Amino acid sequence: MNGSSILDAGLADPSLPRDNGALVFDAPWQGRALAMAVLAVERTGSEWDDFRAELIGSIEGEPERPYWESWVVALDRFLLATHVIARTATL
Amino acid sequence: MSDDHHHERPRTPVEDRVDALEALMTEKGLLDPAAIDSVVEYYEHAVGPLNGARVVARAWSDPEYHDRLLADGTSAIAELGFGGPEGDHMVVVENTEQVHNAVVCTLCSCYPWPVLGLPPNWYKNAPYRSRMVREPRVLLAEMGCAVPEGVEIRVWDSSAEIRYLVLPLRPTGSEDLDEGELAALVSRDSMIGVARL
Repeated sequence: MNGSSILDAGLADPSLPRDNGALVFDAPWQGRALAMAVLAVERTGSEWDDFRAELIGSIEGEPERPYWESWVVALDRFLLATHVIARTATL
Repeated sequence: MSDDHHHERPRTPVEDRVDALEALMTEKGLLDPAAIDSVVEYYEHAVGPLNGARVVARAWSDPEYHDRLLADGTSAIAELGFGGPEGDHMVVVENTEQVHNAVVCTLCSCYPWPVLGLPPNWYKNAPYRSRMVREPRVLLAEMGCAVPEGVEIRVWDSSAEIRYLVLPLRPTGSEDLDEGELAALVSRDSMIGVARL
């Protein structure tokens, strides 16, 4: 096997990271929910692990719920725990 | 059915909930629309598996960097300018002829964002999270990654504070390639350990 055949085979692989522009969200609200969590951690002076603990609990509590919905539940709980909000935004 | 069905689609409860939380956070001065846009833009375009591919290609090309990377992943990755949330405790595990490494997060979705971007959907799903621990060889084969009998599979659970990155085996036949060409060979999945190069 020579170098060019490896290269050719590799370039056919769609998972190749040729750029960083892969679409990572199925819907815009998922991207906003991600950004809100990143900013909430940063601007409340918390640790990322504090949010992660809420995410673990949220997934564990309802394993079949879609991932980004569990993320939003975790964000809601994180904002409650850090006293940003006084009550849950659950509708 | 409308021509413009994206705008006609009924809003879902979770979208309303995101709106409500955004309004509350804005009211508290914790965010503004521009801040949200810049974070989304960052995760959609600035970080992703190309960063990890650059780390791998450097390790293949530079033996001293390779050693630094295995000794202290976080620092060696920061040398290339990559860091941030989910990138504080990076450990790089190296594939060899005898050992194949694969990464999972059994409890949620921990993943090395600075070098791989955000995780793919299957990584966050329950079947991957449980089966990678229970029957990694079977699952890997189903994902198109047949690990030869006799090669040990080590599964690393990212649920501790550690984020793992797999350093794949350098493909045979790649000896004459430069670092940029090597980076183009490195797939995202190979750095999670669900593909072999």
